[in-house]
Amino acid sequence: MDTLLLARLQFATTTSIHFLFVVVTLGLVTLLVGMQTAGFLTGDPKWERLTRFWGQLYVINYVLGIATGIVMEFQFGLNWSGLSRYVGNVFGAPLAIETLLAFFLESTFLGMWIFGWHRLRRGLHLALLWGVAITAYASAFWIMVANSWLQNPVGYELRDGVAHLTDFGALLTNPTLGMAFGHVLAASLLTGGMLMAAVSARHLIRRTPDFALFRTSLRIGLVVAALAIAAVQGFGFAQFGPVGQVQPTKFGGGPGRDALVAEWTARFGPGDWTPPVLSSVGLGFMILIGLTLGCVWLLLPLLWRDAVIRLRFPLWLILFALPLPFVAVLLGWIAREVGRQPWAAYGLLPNSRAVSDVDAGLMLTSLVGFGLLLGALAVTNWVLLARHAARGAHDPALGRPPAPESDDFPRQPVLA
Amino acid sequence: MELAWYALLGLFFATYLVLGGYDYGVGLLLARGGSPAARRAALTALGPFFLGNEVWLVAAVGILFGAFPVLEGELLSGYYPAVLGALAGVVLVTAGVQLRSRPDGDRARSRWDRVVVAGSALAALGWGSLLAGLLQGLPMSAAGHAAGVTHLFTPFVAAAGLAMVALVAAHGATFLTLRLPEPDGATAARLARRLIPVALAAVGAATVVGLLSDRVRVGAQQPLVAVLLMSLLVTALLGARVALARRRPGLAFAATSAALALPVALVGAARWPWALVSGTDPVTGLAVADAAASAPTLSLLGWLTLPLVPALLGFQAMCWWIFRGRIDGRAPVYW
Ligand code: HDD
Ligand code: HEM
Ligand code: HEM
Repeated sequence: MDTLLLARLQFATTTSIHFLFVVVTLGLVTLLVGMQTAGFLTGDPKWERLTRFWGQLYVINYVLGIATGIVMEFQFGLNWSGLSRYVGNVFGAPLAIETLLAFFLESTFLGMWIFGWHRLRRGLHLALLWGVAITAYASAFWIMVANSWLQNPVGYELRDGVAHLTDFGALLTNPTLGMAFGHVLAASLLTGGMLMAAVSARHLIRRTPDFALFRTSLRIGLVVAALAIAAVQGFGFAQFGPVGQVQPTKFGGGPGRDALVAEWTARFGPGDWTPPVLSSVGLGFMILIGLTLGCVWLLLPLLWRDAVIRLRFPLWLILFALPLPFVAVLLGWIAREVGRQPWAAYGLLPNSRAVSDVDAGLMLTSLVGFGLLLGALAVTNWVLLARHAARGAHDPALGRPPAPESDDFPRQPVLA
Repeated sequence: MELAWYALLGLFFATYLVLGGYDYGVGLLLARGGSPAARRAALTALGPFFLGNEVWLVAAVGILFGAFPVLEGELLSGYYPAVLGALAGVVLVTAGVQLRSRPDGDRARSRWDRVVVAGSALAALGWGSLLAGLLQGLPMSAAGHAAGVTHLFTPFVAAAGLAMVALVAAHGATFLTLRLPEPDGATAARLARRLIPVALAAVGAATVVGLLSDRVRVGAQQPLVAVLLMSLLVTALLGARVALARRRPGLAFAATSAALALPVALVGAARWPWALVSGTDPVTGLAVADAAASAPTLSLLGWLTLPLVPALLGFQAMCWWIFRGRIDGRAPVYW
């Protein structure tokens, strides 16, 4: 096993795990903002209960987003030091902006939101959640700017083999960015909506006490998923144009590809300059899933008079469809990332020059170690999520009101 | 320009060690067992601050990548084992603290507590070793790239790693002194007073081992500054001890915070103008100026992010202000 292959495997595993969690984070936080805002405006306690229940699942899910994200961030320096050496002047900027402008505030706000229930004024508490959502979107945006630059390097000039930034605006108008960002956000909303609908469906199937509550969240989830899948398809098909143009080797043959391969062979020497077939397999299955999930629209008429609940089989369908968006997001990233092989930065920096000069044994240790660690944490996290989802909404730990102060123990913390 | 960014990088990493340091300190102290309620109280003391603490690390690495890309690549890959250990520790603590109270049973919770203890120890050992490794120098190939990893396995690196563990434990106990309601605060104060001499001894041992190492002596380009900062560190620890004895936990916490920030200042200043030193005589390495990103990148980052740094600090300060003081019956419990 050579270092390069191990480093690629490690990147693929850790990012995939990371994305399975952040896709839920991005989707759920949007829905939470809607629910808490509705509660603020209407004063109906139902919304607070909904916010606490879904917020609890959101916060549990968030843990792995952070844990895996930190590993991702370090991985660039650990395993891909060539990336920082040759293109760090350009590629590093969006990542730095993102950490300072987005992640930093996101976690700060979230900490205050979790511990601010019943303690902060309601308006401030709501503003904190808005802050969390806005910074989450901002972080997704800057990450996508960075990733899009690797897909299609722009706005730089080469001096002594090192890329220097010349035009930051070009990074923001990158043809690989716009539609992809929309597609990722829509995919996140779809996943969040599907998750909400599926968990609610499970409670409605088992006829747990909170009928009204889960009926509401089933409806929200289904409507959001329906709107989102339309956007997913729109942004998805819209990507073929711009991406196909700047990456002629990605979506199969054609004269553009042959010309580019000839040019690369002249510049970088002979080699296999076309991506593995895995990329188009991923793409195909993702599109298949995308078209299948379009059927969510067929369920919307059944919302009338709760037919979707009374018929029951639609609830089972929703439950069984839950893995689909998760599979699709991974396939999508495989299409995007494997489709630009063998480049770390397309047409500019081959993988082999980007990888760190680290001993293969050490790289293997790190791959196995982090693979096992993050894999185990991911499974544990899903088990906890499933248990909390099944437990229902009667008393989530998140936002539990503090016990009233009694005269016997005036200043002792109440520990649940 | 480079100096300002280098200072900002140092500031973020030092603040991370101060804030993350008490997370790890409190995490280590979970190893003492104690009743489930006592452990829960310690985590409630971290409460709202926990999530805002480790982002200083994320931001520091962001600055490292944006403003010092060359340094980022060489530093992280050159000190691979130390970074790997620290990273695994950070991940374990992050997951452990946030998930430990999600299961209901006490058995499951104590298992998670062990995860937190192990993670805290790993994180402290890792960062201590990284700082020591930086002082001791990084062997470089002819092309100027980091070469090998075995250079990290020296007595000085081990001593410094242990010193960091002792420092965060003392810092964590001091934090609890400040945050726990009486009488638990007084118990934490007694513990802190016992831990500070241990930290002093560990720091002293690391210093002696360092002075005995040629590579450290060569690496310290500014010996005067190094000695000065080292004595400040010792003074801070002694000051913390005195403040605890006089029941001034706020002052003691400020002093232990300084003790965690000073090693970063020491490692940064002692090797100036180098960002990485080779550990050989005469010194070669990577100068701070050469490690920085080129001018357009730095000015872009400057215009875009520097105006926002006050806002970042403001929101963190808001969090400290809202949740200041000892935890009481109204403190929300979640971790
Ligand atoms: C719920 C998830 C999901 C679903 C149902 C779909 N996608 Fe997708 N797709 C993603 C989630 C995703 C993604 C994970 O978010 C990707 C990876 C990178 C990106 O920009 O979005 C992606 C990438 C991606 C790419 C690769 C872009 C590139 O290589 O730069 C294309 C062409 C499409 N998608 C097109 C589609 C079409 C035509 C779909 C269905 C009709 C579709 N996707 C459904
Ligand atoms: C914007 C964020 C991202 C950046 C900056 C990024 C960057 C990279 C880098 C540096 C590599 C290794 C070099 C290479 O093999 O080309 C890589 C590979 C890979 N990434 Fe991404 N990535 C990002 C997002 C993602 C996400 C979210 C996923 C999956 C969910 C993903 C999936 C993969 C896969 C599967 C590979 C392995 C491809 C291969 O080596 O054959 N990436 N990416
Ligand atoms: C390779 C590139 C990536 C890196 C280096 C990275 C890094 C990180 C880090 C360090 C965190 C934790 C921040 C914290 O402590 O709060 C994080 C969380 C997050 N990431 Fe990523 N990430 C990458 C890819 C992506 C992609 C492609 C997306 C979405 C499009 C994304 C979206 C998020 C979101 C929304 C969060 C915050 C929510 C959560 O933690 O669950 N990331 N990421």
